[in-house]
Amino acid sequence: MSETFEFTKEELAEIDKIKAKYPDKKSPVMPVLWLAQNKFGHVEPEVQQLVAKTLDIPAAHVYGVVSFYTQYYGTRKGKFVFDVCTTLTCQLCGGYDILHHLEDKLGIKAGETTEDGMFSIQSVECLGACGYAPMMQITNGVYCNHLTKEKVDRIVDDLKAGKMPEFEQIPFPQHQNESSK
Amino acid sequence: MPEIFIDNVRYEFEGKPLVLQFMLDHGLDHPFFCYHPSLSIPANCRQCYVEAGTPVFNRETNSYELDESGERVIRFFPKLMTACSLEATDGMVIKTHRTSALVERAQKDTMEFILVNHPLDCPICDQAGECPLQIQTYKYGPEGSRFEHKKVHKPKRIKLGPRVILDAERCINCTRCVRFTEEISKTHQLTIISRGDKNYPAVAPGTEFDDPYSLNTVDICPVGALTSSDFRFKARVWEMNQTPGIDITNGKGCNIDVWTRDNVVMRITPRYNPAVNDHWMPDFGREDIRRMNENRISKPEVLLDGDRIKSSWNNAELNFTENLAGLESNEILVIGSAFSSVEDNYAVKKLFSTLGFNHQVFVPNIKEGSGDGFLIDDDQYPNTNGCRLLGFEELTSEKLTLLLSKGNFKMIVSLEDDLVGRGVLNEDLLKEPYFVYMGSNHNKTSALADLIVPIANSVEQSCSYVNSSGRIQRTTAAKETLYTNRRLNLEMSVGRLDRYGTKFDNWVTDRNRIDCIPAWDFIERVATNLDKQTGYESASEIMDEIASVLPAFNGLSYDRIDDELGVQIIGDVSKVTSA
Repeated sequence: MSETFEFTKEELAEIDKIKAKYPDKKSPVMPVLWLAQNKFGHVEPEVQQLVAKTLDIPAAHVYGVVSFYTQYYGTRKGKFVFDVCTTLTCQLCGGYDILHHLEDKLGIKAGETTEDGMFSIQSVECLGACGYAPMMQITNGVYCNHLTKEKVDRIVDDLKAGKMPEFEQIPFPQHQNESSK
Repeated sequence: MPEIFIDNVRYEFEGKPLVLQFMLDHGLDHPFFCYHPSLSIPANCRQCYVEAGTPVFNRETNSYELDESGERVIRFFPKLMTACSLEATDGMVIKTHRTSALVERAQKDTMEFILVNHPLDCPICDQAGECPLQIQTYKYGPEGSRFEHKKVHKPKRIKLGPRVILDAERCINCTRCVRFTEEISKTHQLTIISRGDKNYPAVAPGTEFDDPYSLNTVDICPVGALTSSDFRFKARVWEMNQTPGIDITNGKGCNIDVWTRDNVVMRITPRYNPAVNDHWMPDFGREDIRRMNENRISKPEVLLDGDRIKSSWNNAELNFTENLAGLESNEILVIGSAFSSVEDNYAVKKLFSTLGFNHQVFVPNIKEGSGDGFLIDDDQYPNTNGCRLLGFEELTSEKLTLLLSKGNFKMIVSLEDDLVGRGVLNEDLLKEPYFVYMGSNHNKTSALADLIVPIANSVEQSCSYVNSSGRIQRTTAAKETLYTNRRLNLEMSVGRLDRYGTKFDNWVTDRNRIDCIPAWDFIERVATNLDKQTGYESASEIMDEIASVLPAFNGLSYDRIDDELGVQIIGDVSKVTSA
């Protein structure tokens, strides 16, 4: 059975507000995709069509944007998505070890979702937290920094228990020095 | 006049030319992939790097600063510039790979990057031989590659649409195809998906690339990524002859190149004509190769006691003249054809006018609303305006039916036009009189004919057409008939296989040569039998005569049509009516 996807009146009003911020039709595509993904949990082709229709832009363009960013879920993902960074800095600090540990622990490969629909793993490009490598992001939300295998195990267990890891504040080295003075 | 110095040679320019286009216009070879003169300029392939600099202008002295030796001081841009997006300015100095080791190195290195994940499968690639990537790698590329890791694999053989197939591994992401759908055909069907070394063009999920102009992306693809599902693996480029022609599937008259191998038309590609079709043509025009190759009428056919039998040309001429004899002027109906050329129509009209048979009509094939305002016209036939100018009476289907049912016609002569097949006439109307059909292909109308005269089609003879906007353009023979020969007809192109093949090679046969002659030639033979010969020996002679007889065609000749890529002979098409 095929689901139908539609925006409510309130959401359409929200989209109109977003549209007003930009000079042309193509630009609002990213915030509107966010809005759609927050609502539906994914932006599968049907949702992409909806966004294209709502903004009156080519569906191909929306597809191109969705496929460009790993943050948009072009296919349905699990409840929690581990975006493990494997770009240079994290890679050098053991990003792939973390990724492979996660894969072994959850029994899935990067790009897959566990059968119970709880977890997905993605290998992603730089998330801009090279100072805290290796790191990952959970479902476009919290950054988990300075990962070790133990820390990953703990995070997975916490999530299973319904506990989201907390936002960690890590001061810059120069600020650390200031505070220690 | 502003000047620009390219590789120490001074050129003058007008306006604001782009450096790359300027170099190409002046015959300077320069490598590039993503640039296309009819598309926007993203400068994303980075292959057309040049060193560029401008002279230092001193505002106080209002003059260029000079160095010790009296030369202008040139301030170069800090980095290499892409020539495609660089506008020429007065006094600009350009150094290309011919004078700059830096540029030469940059081009090599860019090419090395472009080739990182390119499969280098030229031996099995359709594009080989006409591939900018291949050519430029030979000319400007690196000797080898320092990237020795496994290449990234991407999907192959993706059916983007009914006519276009994508090999994503070959793609270099120049985005020409994407820009084509955005800027020219405006269907916006293509986009580049994904990121980094994984990206390639694709359509949105659940849609297909069914753009009526989709095959143009295959032409402009600078690599073998997009291929035509029809032409794929059919022929290598160097086996074919390329001959200029006109697309006759539509009133627009797109300029085309006809590619033949062993007298079979293998493919049709658009030929640049800024006044008509730019670099483009609609997809259905390319499917016309079927009409050119298949279902052809070869050798005259006569109806003998209800049986259709192949006949000799002599017998066909005799049949024609015998049936003509003794007929009154209102007993013959001549049906010209907007599908046939100006010359064929003129020759037919002239003979019958000389003989005093003045019922000369044609029925245009215009489907209102089927055009798109770009390269697809409402007019389904290539020569409607030509027929009007030649003075055939323009009739609707109803009027022709009325004329035929009321009139007392004993003989009907029809030039190639499937009147029954396209629903203009009911077949019963053609059964009674002696019906002569002069055409290239078997169809529902030819099936009713008492005499079928096989005539050469638009790719087997030189002939001209007046398109829906009143421009006369001409074709050149691309395909030999039984009676023409590439080596004797200097207009025909001679490819490798023709030049070096003999009848004993298995790639050269006579099988594909049709037993047909141009319609004007047959008419001339009949005229000779009736002592009305005009002495035509070629279509260009007929055009010369038309030019001297009909005011609309004044001053025309094949040479002029060739030189000017067609000539606008009607100022306002809406005022053209048949005389």
